[in-house]
Parts: sequence; C-alpha cells; structure tokens
Amino acid sequence: MALTRIQPPAIADVREPNFRNICINGDMAVAQRSTSDASVTTSQFLCDRWYFNLSSQGTWTLSQDTDVPTGQGFANSFKINNTTADASPAVSDYLNFQQRFEGQNLQYLKKGTSNAVPITVSFWIKSVLTGTYICELRDDDNTRSISQAYTISDASTWEKKTLTFAGDTTGALDNDNARSFNLFFWLGAGTNYTSGTLNTSWNSTVTANRAVGQVNLANSTSNNLWVTGIQMEAGSVATNFEAVSYGQNLERCERYFNRPINGSGQGICTAGAYNSNDAFGIYIFPVKMRTTPSIETTSGTSYYNFIGNNTGTSFDGPLVLSTGTESSAQIAFSSFAGALTQGVAGAFRSANASSSVAFSAEL
Amino acid sequence: MVNTVTKNYFLGEFVSYQITYENSNVSVSVPLEEANTDYQAIQEWAAIDGNNIIDNGA
Repeated sequence: MALTRIQPPAIADVREPNFRNICINGDMAVAQRSTSDASVTTSQFLCDRWYFNLSSQGTWTLSQDTDVPTGQGFANSFKINNTTADASPAVSDYLNFQQRFEGQNLQYLKKGTSNAVPITVSFWIKSVLTGTYICELRDDDNTRSISQAYTISDASTWEKKTLTFAGDTTGALDNDNARSFNLFFWLGAGTNYTSGTLNTSWNSTVTANRAVGQVNLANSTSNNLWVTGIQMEAGSVATNFEAVSYGQNLERCERYFNRPINGSGQGICTAGAYNSNDAFGIYIFPVKMRTTPSIETTSGTSYYNFIGNNTGTSFDGPLVLSTGTESSAQIAFSSFAGALTQGVAGAFRSANASSSVAFSAEL
Repeated sequence: MVNTVTKNYFLGEFVSYQITYENSNVSVSVPLEEANTDYQAIQEWAAIDGNNIIDNGA
C-alpha cells in the first residue's frame, strides 16, 4: 500500500505569537490599582493595561464592573461614568482610553514591509450615548496612524464590533521594550482632533484627522459606557476572544505593574538595619518587568513596620528606590530617627489599611 | 499634579528621584532609567520654566 505524506498546514509559514490577542487584560479581569475611582479628571489606569486618557473633558467615575454581554463568557467590564459634564470641549481637549504596546512584541505584524499583515480589532461595547465612535491605531515610532468609525446603534445595549485595519507597508516598529504602538478608543475630542477628514488609511499622523465624527461622551452626566472582550489580532478575521486564566492574565499585567501591598499586615520583604536610621531590603518581582520600575507608596503616620530583634519599629514612609533592575529592587526604609539597632535583621510589613506599595514600569 | 521632585542619595551616590504630588499622600521613587516613563516625565517637567529639582546633596 502506498504511503501518502501528510503536508504541514498552510499556515505553517506564519510566525504565531504565544498569545493571539495582542491586548493584555482585554476581559478587564485584572484591576490591581483599584476597582473603582471617583472624581477622575486626569489620566490614569484602572483596569490593568487600559489607560484612561483625558485633558479637561469632564469628571468621571471609573470602575471594574460586572455588567457584561449575556452568554459571552465575560465576568467583568470597564465602566466609564460621567459625573460632571463638558458639553463644549475646548479645541485641544481629548478623551479616550488606550492600550500601549512594546515594539518587540509586534514584529510578527511585519509592519513597514511589503508583507505587512492587517490587524483586526473586536470588542463588546454598551453606551447610553449612541452615534459615531472612532477606533484608531497609532505607530509611535514613525508617527503614523489609521482610524475607523463605528456606530453604536442602540442605547444601553451590548453590541459586538469588529474592525479590520490594513497592514502598513511603511514604517517598521522598533524592536525594543519602548512604546511603539497604541490602540485608541476615542470618547470625545475638541476640534483640534476632529476638524479634518477621518484618516481611514495609514498615513503620517495629522491631528485634525484622528477623531473626526466622534460623539462627545462627556456631554451629559447620564452617559455611561461599558466595554469588554477587546481583542486585537493579526489577520483580517476576528476570532473568538482568547480566554486565558486569571493567573496568566495577571502575570502578563505584572510585566508593567504589580502591587504587593494593599492594606495592613502584609509582608514586603526581609531587610537589615544598615545603621540606626536606615534599613534596606530586596524585593524580587513576580515576573521580570519591562524596565526598572518606579516604586509608588502611600505615606502616613506609622504606615509601615520593621519587625526584628523582638520589637516592631514604625516608620511613615515613603519607600525609596536605592537601586533596581527589571528583576528586583533594593528598597531603602529611612527616617527611623535612631530607633534601629545596626545589623539587626527583620521583616518589613504594612501597618495601616491605607498602606500601599506598587511597582510600575508602564509604557 | 507634581508638587516636588527631589534627588535621592544612597552611600553618597545619586540613585533615584522622589516625586510628591499636591493633595496626595502618594509618593513615587523613580529610577535613573531612560526607559522608565516616570523618568521621562520628570525630564519633561524639569524642562518647564519654574520647575526645579530639589538637590539636598548626599
């Protein structure tokens, strides 16, 4: 009997990433910083990796919400709730949320070559305010962008949107750990961003063409918007949302941010008293971070404790980075005002419900 | 909004910046690393007339 060789699949020449979804935390499951922030008037993160970006356009409550499209397998959404309206934004105002990407993770898009592949963005969205919204891809390395309009047809109803963007044969992305690429979801903009003609093919960025036609989500305190299931992938077809475990999702987020301390009675690291005023400890990050991170700490009376030599010695903070890498940070705990015994080893822990220690290497 | 930016020293060596914010008990210790976006923000902040990095020395 003749043998027939089984050929490799036709897609064998495609270099597939470990994760099909370029976006991290597209299901909004991870929110290390907070699950709800009120009175937001400046740019910040809430759900991990999703940067709420605004300039003088309304006041907002941001939250990780449980309103999700029925039967789609999502448990969380990102809710954006207007609490102070701005019906007439100034020309330079902007309002959007975005995810930023390292160029070294996107080389397989072959951007800047004749083989550049298209990019498809799919997501579930629900908004009180119907009308035209703008989704934009932006190449920061080469200052190029492309936008697409989509319509939210029914108020307060979950809708799935799929947008395919052409591949860009101009402008390769840098192969490094810096910000190379952005996915923008516009929610409002002043005329600096809307006065031109919507840029629906890859071009050098013209600010006036970026968000033409975008409705103003800030125009009423009745406006709420929810979004989840955001997936950006190579190719011209939107595949099913790539579900990953919470642990995998968290690990991917921790390359950019991790918050080991959030409340009282939590250990930070072991440490030793360098002298009577200062102690030092080494904190090892759970995953290697994008770059040497900053340390974000809250400070207040007796927010932290050094436990050693059969006693606890309080200090107020902040924690100071004395040296660090992508893998670990040497942290200085200072201002003990002569209360430590040089050479004593011990442990650092939080001692207040508002104690917080986080490491940030965001893009 | 940034209130102050101060140089941190360790064993006599300048090792990081410390940022404080207006009306906030949050403080950020920033490495001397160009790829860190807080470091980039400090350079932009310091380039604005009237903003000065505090240097209390080692």
